[in-house]
Amino acid sequence: MSVLSQLNVIQVSGLTKRVNTLEGSLTILSDINFSVKSGESVAIVGASGSGKSTLLSLLAGLDVASEGEIHLDGEALSTLDEEARARLRADKIGFVFQSFMLVQSLTALENVMLPAELAGDHDAKAQAVELLEKVGLSHRLAHYPSQLSGGEQQRVAIARAFIGSPKILFADEPSANLDRKNGQLIENLLFDLNKQNGTTLVLVTHDEQLAKKCQRIIHIEGGQLEKISEGGAANVG
Amino acid sequence: MWVKLAFKLFSRELRRGELTIIFAAIALAVLTVFSLSAITERISLNLAQKSSDFIASDRRLSSNHAFEPQLLTQANKFGLATAEMLYFDSMLFANDELVLGSVKAITGSYPLRGKITIKDSLTSPAYDVDTGPKAGAIWLSEGLFYALKVKVGDKVELGAGLFNVTKVLVKEPDAPFFSLSGNKRVLLNYADIATTQAVQPGSRVFHRLLFAGNEQQLSEYYTWLKPQLKSNQNWQGIKDRQSPLGNNIVRAERFLLLAGLFGIMLAAVAMAVSAKRYCERQYDPVAMMKTLGGSRKVIRNIFLLHLSLVTVFSIVAGLMVGFVLQTIGADYLATFMGTELPQAGFRPWLLSAFIGLVCALMFSLKPLLDLFDIPPLRVLRRNLGDTLAISRIHIALSMMTIFVLMWIFSGEIMTTLILFASTLLIIAILFAISRLLFAAGRRLGLRPGSSWSLALATLQKRANANAIQLISFALAIKLMLFLVILKNDIIADWQMQVPADAPNMFIINIAKEEVTPIKKFFRDNNIAHEDFYPVFSGRVDAVNGEKFARRVSKQEGEENDKNAKKGVSREPNLTWLASLPEGNEITEGQWFTYGVTGGNDIEVSVFDGWQDVLGLKLGDTITLLVNEQAINAKVTSFRKVDWGTLKPNFVMILSPNMAGKVPVTYFSAAQLHDSDTKAISQLLQRYPTISMIDIKSQIEQAQSIIAQVSLAIGFVLSIVLVSGALVLISQVQASLAERMEEMVILRTLGAKGRLIKLATLYEFMLLGGIAGLVAALVSDIALLVIQQQLFDVAGRLHPYIWLLGPLSGALFVSSIGYFMVAHTMRQNTQGLLRKLG
Repeated sequence: MSVLSQLNVIQVSGLTKRVNTLEGSLTILSDINFSVKSGESVAIVGASGSGKSTLLSLLAGLDVASEGEIHLDGEALSTLDEEARARLRADKIGFVFQSFMLVQSLTALENVMLPAELAGDHDAKAQAVELLEKVGLSHRLAHYPSQLSGGEQQRVAIARAFIGSPKILFADEPSANLDRKNGQLIENLLFDLNKQNGTTLVLVTHDEQLAKKCQRIIHIEGGQLEKISEGGAANVG
Repeated sequence: MWVKLAFKLFSRELRRGELTIIFAAIALAVLTVFSLSAITERISLNLAQKSSDFIASDRRLSSNHAFEPQLLTQANKFGLATAEMLYFDSMLFANDELVLGSVKAITGSYPLRGKITIKDSLTSPAYDVDTGPKAGAIWLSEGLFYALKVKVGDKVELGAGLFNVTKVLVKEPDAPFFSLSGNKRVLLNYADIATTQAVQPGSRVFHRLLFAGNEQQLSEYYTWLKPQLKSNQNWQGIKDRQSPLGNNIVRAERFLLLAGLFGIMLAAVAMAVSAKRYCERQYDPVAMMKTLGGSRKVIRNIFLLHLSLVTVFSIVAGLMVGFVLQTIGADYLATFMGTELPQAGFRPWLLSAFIGLVCALMFSLKPLLDLFDIPPLRVLRRNLGDTLAISRIHIALSMMTIFVLMWIFSGEIMTTLILFASTLLIIAILFAISRLLFAAGRRLGLRPGSSWSLALATLQKRANANAIQLISFALAIKLMLFLVILKNDIIADWQMQVPADAPNMFIINIAKEEVTPIKKFFRDNNIAHEDFYPVFSGRVDAVNGEKFARRVSKQEGEENDKNAKKGVSREPNLTWLASLPEGNEITEGQWFTYGVTGGNDIEVSVFDGWQDVLGLKLGDTITLLVNEQAINAKVTSFRKVDWGTLKPNFVMILSPNMAGKVPVTYFSAAQLHDSDTKAISQLLQRYPTISMIDIKSQIEQAQSIIAQVSLAIGFVLSIVLVSGALVLISQVQASLAERMEEMVILRTLGAKGRLIKLATLYEFMLLGGIAGLVAALVSDIALLVIQQQLFDVAGRLHPYIWLLGPLSGALFVSSIGYFMVAHTMRQNTQGLLRKLG
């Protein structure tokens, strides 16, 4: 493996995803090639149905590719089974979802601690409290998701994403379910924490403004990589 | 580490009420099985004890010849308690009065089971004792005191012996329920037999050996005894004694078991529905945990621990509540029955815990396996995994489990099959109905804005889910209807057998010339009475000239005495009658044609139960030995006799041309009240030769059993109602999230609260009504089968439930459903939206 590819925390080559439907095989993604450097922020943009969420699911090892290969931090996902991919996610990946995806029966603090507890980390509480403080929720530690506003729930999700200091953070439309003010707050938090932790950020969005906050923008159209452009933060990173 | 997380999640799920229904369903199944099996076991043990009381022992050996002493010594070697008895008739003499009494001489250990009831004088209160009179003393029944004009303390001659009358004999446990000896009974010490010199070679005597011990000892002894039993020796157990209550008790037990099955079935449905729902609600958290790196093993451990915790907690809770309930129930019954109920063994504990375990495991297995398979991708594709929700395997597994549970619990494949088949029929009909509703509703074209349209639209939209709901509702309603009808039928049936105005005293030994004055006496004293029947006793000696040997025992495991030639040794009471008595039904042949043919041939109508025992068919000639006189009678009909009624019933009724051929006495039955005591004494003093048999205690016992069973049914019905409610709650809960979503949409679109509320109410009413109607129809058909197969009662249709079913269904489902949804409806749209998020 070259020095260059070692610097690339995500390496995608010839990625194709097909699904079987009643009408036959349907190609959702076709021959996608790109790479993401460590610490870089990348936005994947495209219209609804363009295949950007599928791309995210493949990158995170939530789904498997039909053809091609994804290397995450040097590991080829195609060689890993579901359990090994889960371990990889536990070790190296954080997530933020559009619909927050908090466990309703756990408090804000417990939700943040969840990935660490699943990984067998016994001392996650201090780190979780610190992260919740950073997202401005130190006064909401014992609240359940149903007792929090949408913006607060997403801040809990962000805190959860950063626990265990992941190398890569995948965010799927993180502000789409929120009003403008809360959306802004969440986006700022995400980028600030990303910068502080030196995490690689891969963001799926259809919001051009949000995409421009990233260093690079990958445009997906009809399942194909249309172009890769520089974002507004290109010079910053 | 996962253990801590698992406990945390478990405690939260508990608090959020997510596990309540599963917990309640398992606990309910456990407590139903526990309390029912414990109570039925305790009642059975008590009844077995009571039945043993009826023969004053557990088994007895009868013969009209003396027994070899080794039969007793061997029984003692096997650890059995024994007693000896000798019956004979002998003349008693006192105050110039000579009366024939029926004497029972007993050894000191008599009775081995039950008590003897005596009085210190005719007017003093009765009390129980454990042993009979000492040597030299004699106990006489009340009738003899009048007949012999004696009082306690006087001396009476019995045969050649002179004895002190020390007590008034009220009742012995094995006193004949109905016999011609009536109340001229004498209890004598076995050692005094010789003194009387009444028993000589060739005397007509009956010997009895009584045995008591546990079943194993009894069975070992019988194995030893069997090869050496002589043809005149008759081995009898508690089941041989024809108790009019026996059948009712068997029916009651079956009913309780059946009802218990319903409880289990409903709890199982609730469990299956709520386990599936619980697992479905965990799809997102599991997908999330997998996404966050949780391994399959950790997730599996977490949820298996949850299942184990719920199972253990609910079984313990079920056992505890069940124990309390059965203790209260048994205490109540014990007070009611005036007796101690023996403690149940380990069986109820083991059986109920096992059933709880099976419920928990089998109903949650498939949903849990589905849960473990939820792909992490669900976090992005929200509907992924939903297809797993409708699982034929889960349905098949659940149904199989229900079937096996019912079978284990009832031990009766037939009942289980009938119940199961009728349930499948309901499922098929309801699936068809829900499909039809869907199609019809679409064709109707619904008007927007009306609550009914909205209700119909909702019904259609959820056709599949509704089919499942309809089935659960129908099942719950079916089982409840079943219980209500069975309860009504059985109780009504029993009450008919023991009506409030049933005669409570049999009057026997009435001489022909006494019939008219006694009738007048009854009329003058306003005493209701039955007809006067001529009675004589005779033994069936031969059929078509072929003679019979000894009778065969009915005791389980002891009846396969193939060497014995079948027959009956009992001397039944016989009568002649011109018309078929009330409650009898000709099953074969014709009632007497005497009077039409005017012939001399004597005809006989035989109880159909003896048809097989004696191997009789129409046209056979029976030879009856009456006072050594042989009477030939031609069998012209077989009758069904309801022995459950406490009315005079006869095994054989001869044609009226029998009159004058044998000496007879007359028999009647009357209803006497406490206020008639003076009249009874007058009657006995005026006609000292008649005997009266008090059957008040039998009637009271029958009524107490009816009351017990009513109580037990009430208890079971309430369990079934709670299980039914659980099923409904679990079903409505399962659809709550979807309903919430709809409500938000409707509210957002500006629908008025009233419209939504009414639509919800109508929807549940329709669901309940349809389910109730189908349940009523299917229940009625299944009941026809069950009543005939299981309870030996004539099956009949119950048109009232065709109305009761849909009405109660609509009411039950709409009230529970509406109550559950009402809370959601009270919340504002914003609150609902947040909950959905």
